[in-house]
Amino acid sequence: MITGTGITKVFKQRGGVLGAREVPALRGVDFAIAKGGAVSFIGESGSGKTTLGRIIAGLESHDAGEIVIDDVPMSSLSHRRRQPYFRRVQLIHQDPYSALNPTRTIHQTLEAPLKLRAKQTGRPRSWVDGRAAELLAMVGIDPGYVLPRYPHQLSGGMRQRVVIARALTMDPEVLVADEAVSMIDVSLRLGILALLKDLRERLNVGVLFITHDIATARYIGDDGELYVLYRGQVVERGATEKIIADPVHPYTQSLLSAIPVLHGLERPGAERVVPREMQREGEPDGGCLFARRCPFSTERCANEMPVLAREEDVEQEYACFHPRRRSVIPVGVGE
Amino acid sequence: MTVIVNPEGAISPDALPAGTTRATLRRNFWRGVWRVLRRKPSRMAGVVIVALFALMGVAGPLLYPAQLPRDDNALYAPPSLAHPFGTDFEGTDVLALVVTGARYVLLTGLATAVITVALGTLIGLVAGFHRGRWDTLLMRLTDMNLAIPGLPLLLVLSTVWKFESPLEMGLVLGVLGWGGIARAVRSQTLSLRERGFIEAARGLGLPTRHIIGRELLPSMAPYIAMNMLIAVTGAVYAQVGLFFLGVLPFESNNWGVMLNLAVFNGGALTTPAALPYLLAPLIAILVLTLGIVLIVDAMDEIFNPRLREE
Amino acid sequence: MTANTAARDIEAPGVRIRDLTVVYKTPAGELPAVRGVDLALAPGTITGVVGESGSGKSTLALSLLNAVQPPGRIAAGSVEIDGLGDVLTLRGEDLRRARGRQVGYVFQAAQNSLNPLKTIGKQLLDLGRSHEVEDLRGLVREAKDLLARMGMDGARVLDSYQHELSGGMRQRVGIMLALVLNAKVVVLDEPTTALDMITQATILRIIREVHEERALTTLVITHDVGAVAEVADSLAVMYGGRVVEHGPVTEVLGEARHPYTQGLIRAIPRLTGDLSLARALPGRPPTLGTLPAQGCVFRERCERRMEVCETDEPVAVNRDGRTVACHAADRHLTLIKRKEFV
Repeated sequence: MITGTGITKVFKQRGGVLGAREVPALRGVDFAIAKGGAVSFIGESGSGKTTLGRIIAGLESHDAGEIVIDDVPMSSLSHRRRQPYFRRVQLIHQDPYSALNPTRTIHQTLEAPLKLRAKQTGRPRSWVDGRAAELLAMVGIDPGYVLPRYPHQLSGGMRQRVVIARALTMDPEVLVADEAVSMIDVSLRLGILALLKDLRERLNVGVLFITHDIATARYIGDDGELYVLYRGQVVERGATEKIIADPVHPYTQSLLSAIPVLHGLERPGAERVVPREMQREGEPDGGCLFARRCPFSTERCANEMPVLAREEDVEQEYACFHPRRRSVIPVGVGE
Repeated sequence: MTVIVNPEGAISPDALPAGTTRATLRRNFWRGVWRVLRRKPSRMAGVVIVALFALMGVAGPLLYPAQLPRDDNALYAPPSLAHPFGTDFEGTDVLALVVTGARYVLLTGLATAVITVALGTLIGLVAGFHRGRWDTLLMRLTDMNLAIPGLPLLLVLSTVWKFESPLEMGLVLGVLGWGGIARAVRSQTLSLRERGFIEAARGLGLPTRHIIGRELLPSMAPYIAMNMLIAVTGAVYAQVGLFFLGVLPFESNNWGVMLNLAVFNGGALTTPAALPYLLAPLIAILVLTLGIVLIVDAMDEIFNPRLREE
Repeated sequence: MTANTAARDIEAPGVRIRDLTVVYKTPAGELPAVRGVDLALAPGTITGVVGESGSGKSTLALSLLNAVQPPGRIAAGSVEIDGLGDVLTLRGEDLRRARGRQVGYVFQAAQNSLNPLKTIGKQLLDLGRSHEVEDLRGLVREAKDLLARMGMDGARVLDSYQHELSGGMRQRVGIMLALVLNAKVVVLDEPTTALDMITQATILRIIREVHEERALTTLVITHDVGAVAEVADSLAVMYGGRVVEHGPVTEVLGEARHPYTQGLIRAIPRLTGDLSLARALPGRPPTLGTLPAQGCVFRERCERRMEVCETDEPVAVNRDGRTVACHAADRHLTLIKRKEFV
C-alpha cells in the first residue's frame, strides 16, 4: 500500500531579467495505491502527472507532503534507508527505445538486477538464469528468442515487454507505467495493456497508469480508480468507469469530448465540451485553475478556488462550483 | 505459469542459439570487429599501416646494431638502393634512423593516450554522474588543467628533466592533456544519465559501480576509443615538436631531432641535399596519422551492436 | 490580394496515384516500401491514410512531392495532380516550384521542423522569396489572416522564435506555411502526434475548417485511426506497403471488410464498447526485411488465412466505391460467381 498526502512540488525556472520564476507542478495531491489495485492519472502536459509518478517511484524529490509505503512514512527515513522502499515501486518508461541499453543484450539487462535480487533474498546464483526466462515468459515473449538479442533486434512492443520484465525482477508492489503504450504500434497497444491487467491479477502487483488518453485507462482493469489532474491539482477522482460514463467536472468533460469519434461505429456525445481557449504557459493562479478556459465559469470561479470534495448522491469527488453531468462521450451506433 | 497474454514475440525461436555466456559474447564481438574492418578497404589499409608501425616499434631496434654505422664518404648522400632515403650529416642511413626512432615516438604516443584517456574519462564520468559538489570540484580542476600553458611548462621542465624514457615523456604529456577529454566525457555523461536505461538502473538500485562501468562506459566506448586514437597522433606531434624545437637533449635517431637537424644544420629548406633527410620522418608521421585516422572511421560501428551486426 | 481571392475560387484539384512502387536499397537488395499502390483523392475531400510503422504511409506521402530520398527510389507508377500533370516526371526548378505552390506539405513533427534560429516571419519571407513571390506584403497579410483564422495573434507569432511557441501553436504555424502560397493539395504527415488530447481536437477541427473554406484536396497520414475518423471523408488503410482497404470513412469503420482493418479497429482503446471484445492483433507489423516475397503481406497475422494467401497476392477489388485487397473478403463473391457458371 502506498499513500501520499499533500504532495507539493514547485519547479524553479531560471527566468531572464526577473530572476527565478516558480512554477507549481503539484498542489497538495492526495492519493492511495493498494496492492494489486489500478490507479490512473489523467491529464495533459503540464498537469503534473509525470512528476507525481516520478516522485512515487523515488526518482524525484517533493517540497511538501508525505509518502507512506507499507505504513512507513518516508520522511522519517534517511535517503539511504528509503531506497529499499522505493525499490518496491518500479517505473516503466514511455519510450521503450531509450529504456534499454543498446550495448547490452537482454540477458545482460536482466542478469544485473536479478543477481542483486538473488543476493538480497539469499538465493543461489543459479536461480538467476531460470528466473530471467520465467519473467520473460510471464510477459509473453519467448526467452530463447529474446535473451541473446540486443534491443535493436526487437520490435517496440517486445522491448516494452522486456522493460516490464526488468521492472518485475525486483518483485515490486507497484508498477508506475508512464504513457507506457504511446510509442507502441496501435495494433499492439492492447497487448501491453492486457499484460498490465494480467500482472495485477497474477502477481497482485498494483499498477499506476499515467496517460493523456482516458480510453486506455479502462483496459488495465474495470475496477480501477481515476484521478484527473489539471495544473497540479486533482480536479476529479472516482471509479474509472464511473467518471468516463458520468463526468461532472468541465475539464474532465473537455478531455473526454476531445477523444476522436469513430464515425461509422459511434456518434458524438450530445453535449461535447470545448474549452474556450488553448492552454497557456505561466498563467496566473487565483480562483479555479480552469476558470479562464471553462465555458461554464462564473465570477465565483475567477475569485475562489474549489477544493476536491464529494457531494451527496454523486459517486466521485470533484473540485468545481458548478458540477453537472453532461453526455460527452461517443455513443455506439448500435446502441 | 506461462500464460502468454499476447504472444507477440513467440512467433518463432529461429536463428541465434542461446549464446549468452561471456565467452560467446566476446567471440561475437571480435567477429563483429573483423566484419566492420573488412567492410571498407580503407580500414584494412589503416590496420595494416598501424600494424607495420607497431612492428617497427617492437622489432625495429633489433634489426640494426646498437650503434648505427656511419659512412664519412657519403654525407647527405642522395637516395639510392643502399640508402632509400639517403644519409644524414654523418653518413648514417636515414631509413635506419626512422625505423629505430619509431619505438620512442610510439611508446610516448601510447603512454600519453592511455594516461589522458584514463584520467579524462574517470574525472569526466565521476563529475557528470555525481554532479553537485564533486562536479564543481573536478571541473575547477579540469579548468586549471586546461589553463596550464603546456609548451612553456615543458620548456621549464626540460631544463631539469631529460626525458630519457618515453614513458616519462608520455606521463608528462598525458598529465598535461586530459582536460579536454574530461570536459567532453562529462557532457556526454550528463546527457546519457537522463536516458531511460540509466534511470531504470538507478531505480532498480544497481550499484553505482555497475551503472558507471557497465551501462555508461560501453555507451561511450566509440567516443573514448576515438579520442584515444586521436590522442596518439596528438602526442606524436607534441613530442616531435618539442624535439624539433631543440628543447630536449640531442639523440640522433629520433624523428623530431632528425627534423631539427635537417632544417637547422642541413639547410633542408634551402638546399636539396638534405631534403630526403627532412622528408623521411615527415612521411613517417604522416603515414602513421593517416593509418590512425582510417581506423577511427570504424569505431562507431565497432562499439554499436546494431551497426556491427548489419 | 485579388489574385489570391481568384485562386481560391478555382476548384480543388483531384489527385490520382497509379501503380506506385517505391523501393529502398538495403544490403539484401532493393525492397519495396510501397508496392503497386492505386489511390485516387477526390477533389475537395480529405483522405486519411492509416498505417502502422513500416506500412509505407510516409513514403507514400513523400512520393506526392516526388521527394523520396536515397536510399529510396520511385521505381514505377505515376502521381497525377490536376493542373500540374505527373509529379514524378517533374525535375529541378519545376519540381521545386510545385512544392509549396501546388502541393503544401506539413512535415511529421512539424513542431520540430521550424528553424530555431530564425523568427517565423523570417522563415515566411524566405519561403516567399524562394518561390519568387513579388508581393511579400501580401504574403505576410495572407499569413496573418491564416494564423488569425486558426485562433492565433498573427503579428505576435511572426515575431516569435520556434521555442516561444507551444506544440499546438507550432503545428498551426506548419499548416500556415503549407497553405500560405495557396497550395491546393495539402499533405499532413502525422499532424497530431505528440499533442495533448484537447490540442489534437483543436488542430483536427482547424484542418477540417480550413480545408472547406479554401476548397483543398487534403491527405492526412497517421497511425491514429481516431484522428482520421474525426476529419477524413475517405479512409485508406495501408499494410506492408499496400493499400489493403479504401472507401468512405463511415463505411470502412462501420463495416470493415479486410481482416487487418477489422483487427485494427478491435485493437483501438475506446471509451465505449465491450472490453472483453477488444484485443491486440497477434504478431507484429512487418519491416522491409520481414515482408514475405510472395502471397498476402498480412497472412502471418491473419485469422482468416487460406492456402491461396501463401502463394498469390490478393488483387484490389473495387465494388460500390470501396476497394478491398483480400482473398477471404472476396471469397463468398467468387463462390456466387462460380454458381452462375455451373
